[in-house]
Amino acid sequence: MPENRNAFRSHPDLYMASSLPDAIAALAQRGERGQALAGGTWIMRAPVRGEAQDRDYVGLSRIDTLRELRRSDTALAIGACVTHAQLARELPADPAWEALALAAAKSANPAVRNTATLGGNLCAASFAAADLVPALMCLDATVEVEGTGGAERIGVEAFVERREAFVPGTLVTGVTIDRDAARRRISTHARLPLRRAGDYPVAIVSMSAQIGDDGKVLDARIAVGSVEAVPRRWTAMEETMAGRPLDDAGLAAKARLASAAFTGRDGVEAPGWYRVRVLPVLFERAIAQLRQGAGR
Amino acid sequence: MTVVFNVNGVDRVSVRAPMTPLVDVLRDELSLTGAKTVCREGFCGACTVHLDGRAVMSCITPLAHAEGCEVRTVESLAEDGELSPLQAAMEVHDAVQCGMCFPGMMMSLTAFLEATPNPSREQVKAALVGNICRCTGYERIVEAVLSLSGRFAAPEARHHV
Repeated sequence: MPENRNAFRSHPDLYMASSLPDAIAALAQRGERGQALAGGTWIMRAPVRGEAQDRDYVGLSRIDTLRELRRSDTALAIGACVTHAQLARELPADPAWEALALAAAKSANPAVRNTATLGGNLCAASFAAADLVPALMCLDATVEVEGTGGAERIGVEAFVERREAFVPGTLVTGVTIDRDAARRRISTHARLPLRRAGDYPVAIVSMSAQIGDDGKVLDARIAVGSVEAVPRRWTAMEETMAGRPLDDAGLAAKARLASAAFTGRDGVEAPGWYRVRVLPVLFERAIAQLRQGAGR
Repeated sequence: MTVVFNVNGVDRVSVRAPMTPLVDVLRDELSLTGAKTVCREGFCGACTVHLDGRAVMSCITPLAHAEGCEVRTVESLAEDGELSPLQAAMEVHDAVQCGMCFPGMMMSLTAFLEATPNPSREQVKAALVGNICRCTGYERIVEAVLSLSGRFAAPEARHHV
């Protein structure tokens, strides 16, 4: 029984940081044993995954500055501890951010969305079904990290590659999306949950595109999530889309061929081959959603 | 570490480790057994409680996150023995089930109706994505919720609908 497995085990330490400098100092002091804890939805599930929950945790949820979503003339800045629910509520309604708004509004379930954060979604490296990460990839977002050595801005794809290799004391503080670049684009997020009402996604296609006056795609950015262990760009289809209108009849066949480049991960909810099989379908859905956005 | 919080209107103190799941404190220390420990991974919703008005999974909420917060459990819904409108609707629609998933459903739906007083059927189903029932299903529960449409106060204006 889970009750017996969990109720009497000892629990690790959690230090609740009072400010960003306090959190960075606490993480640096704890060295390799330190780990930041934001909403906690991933780390608290470690025992069920059969993983040790034995790090020295530094809690971030009392740091108000990390919970802010700010819009300036040049960028949209989202704090690392903004929850999925807050993001869905506060993102300005705009086709440019639609991919991120949909990802935030549809991920997991309502109670987890109330708790799980942007920073946690970016940093939970073994959580393959993250919704926000592919959405941020298609929006060309920049991740801001801060540590004892100062602050650094990293493209989201480079961040995902490096996310398990930062020196102790490094913390994701937020994400920025360039406002002007995003304004010229439309974006969307197509995901397949096993239940129509919602669930964790079997596969995700996040897509943004800039459409020329002639109706043809100037450039597209596509990211695929939940199919493989780590989300990544689908550059083959980005190149295929360039120069074609969104209603190009040949795109679906190209997506079926190009999806063979993915190796699906097996999971209890879906085998790997199924995730790859549904990928071209999600691609078509994303295109249909983009066309609706383009028509607004 | 001492955590001070308010549960169903009563100030409480716990000295359990800060990473202790909130549900264990509610059940073991405070004898509030309405929230159930089932999946312990934020998937089934049987442990749903309100933390400062937001529905959360108390199995994956560390105790430290309740510090200074108001926690509401299913035990608080019937004030002075009077069923809440949601609870009463469940009784009228004969939707009450075995009691394992049901307290969590009540907490999820109470928060949902406060934010969405006139929900569509699809919205109700989406609100229940994190509450798993393996007994009789969801249809009578959905009907009961829809019967309450318009009986809750309108929410604050939202930036994004």
